[in-house]
Amino acid sequence: MHLTGLDLLFWAAGLGSHLILLGVLLICGRYKTFPIFTAFVLTNVGRTAILYCVERYGTKASYFYSYWSLAILDVCMQLAVVYEMYSLTFRPLGNWARDLRGSFVSLVGASIAVATGLTCLAAPHARLWMQVVVIKGSFFTSTCMSELFVGMIALSVRSGLPWKTHVARISQGLGVYSIIDVLIEAGHSYFGVGRDTHLYTNLSHVRMTIYLVCVVYWIVMLSLKASDPRPLPDSLRMRLIDLQSRLNIDLEKVRAGRCS
Amino acid sequence: MFVIDRAALFLVAVGVFVVCLPAIAVYYFRRARRSSQDDWESILKRLAPVDRSCVAEVALDIIDESGQQRMDESSAVLEPAEIWKLVGGMEGLKAIEANCMVLIDLAFYVQQKYPEAVVTTEELRLNAREIAWHVERLKAAAESGKLDSVFAMYAQRATATYYLMTRQVLALYEHDGLPMLASLQRAL
Repeated sequence: MHLTGLDLLFWAAGLGSHLILLGVLLICGRYKTFPIFTAFVLTNVGRTAILYCVERYGTKASYFYSYWSLAILDVCMQLAVVYEMYSLTFRPLGNWARDLRGSFVSLVGASIAVATGLTCLAAPHARLWMQVVVIKGSFFTSTCMSELFVGMIALSVRSGLPWKTHVARISQGLGVYSIIDVLIEAGHSYFGVGRDTHLYTNLSHVRMTIYLVCVVYWIVMLSLKASDPRPLPDSLRMRLIDLQSRLNIDLEKVRAGRCS
Repeated sequence: MFVIDRAALFLVAVGVFVVCLPAIAVYYFRRARRSSQDDWESILKRLAPVDRSCVAEVALDIIDESGQQRMDESSAVLEPAEIWKLVGGMEGLKAIEANCMVLIDLAFYVQQKYPEAVVTTEELRLNAREIAWHVERLKAAAESGKLDSVFAMYAQRATATYYLMTRQVLALYEHDGLPMLASLQRAL
């Protein structure tokens, strides 16, 4: 496999930015709040290093299998990051908010259905069936991811569960990247991969650039301290406790049913 | 004969997708920002006006002033048609639902500003969501033409709970002597 200077530059930039991000997560102690996201960044560092070694010392076949195995791992880690962001937002008291369980099932179902529908419409031109699988798989994944992040925003606002500062920043970065990635992968699918892979490669470079911007955004945002929570004024605390206790009593009556 | 090219259809579908998805995200971002920028008073200002005397009449048909369920012979005498009229039909129920959304925004606001209040606000949020759920079921029943069979079951309960809930909000304001009481009484 022939790598151009630009490919090597992206490679180095990816490794360097992930190492800096990892440093920020460790030095600022964010790894305690975001263990899965930290593992995701660590995986990316490992993935870049492994692929570099395989490309340099391995065979073409070994690079192919390494690349796609690690790509599957990357998708799994991205889904795990989605889970972590959902978990930090929708488990305010340590358990999943009971009013949202149905919404989660609907959201995941709708996301998969829409992504499947769009993927079925895609008919990429490729020389090998494996290339078709790769293009469609990447498109499906980016579509699903973007839907899950937008769904998370919608669910959080509709249900009245706010995001914590750094959760919002990680989600915004990955969400914006996923939406742009849908366009890139759609481009891959529309133009396909023929003998000339120039366009495919250029689109991949655009995707990598967007991802690097996203990593830089995370580096900046995660290095900043979240604003300190304000102490709850006693008067507001008393008002809320009063309102909540009375609401509970009222709802018990409603749940008990209509008297007749 | 006009044949739609699959590739063109794919492009159109992706185009719609990448326009709709950010539009949804921006809409909810703006909603979230509005909630986080508002303060306690300005959130409560968004309460939709509801005819309180009619709500009280529907509620007091099944509960007394103290909130206890009435068991006397003259309780639960309102017919579904009367309840429908008093509540203001589906528009009235939508106003009640909108006011429950305001209470959810209130929980959102407090939880964002004062994370330590999470236990209290989470309960408040869940309760308001439960009332909104009752109203949503009524709206769904109305759309499917089955409103008559479920209206009495849900509408009066939702209205009674709403009546009690908003009365507590008013009581809190009255207790604190806040200047917005008059406008709140008109809205609630």
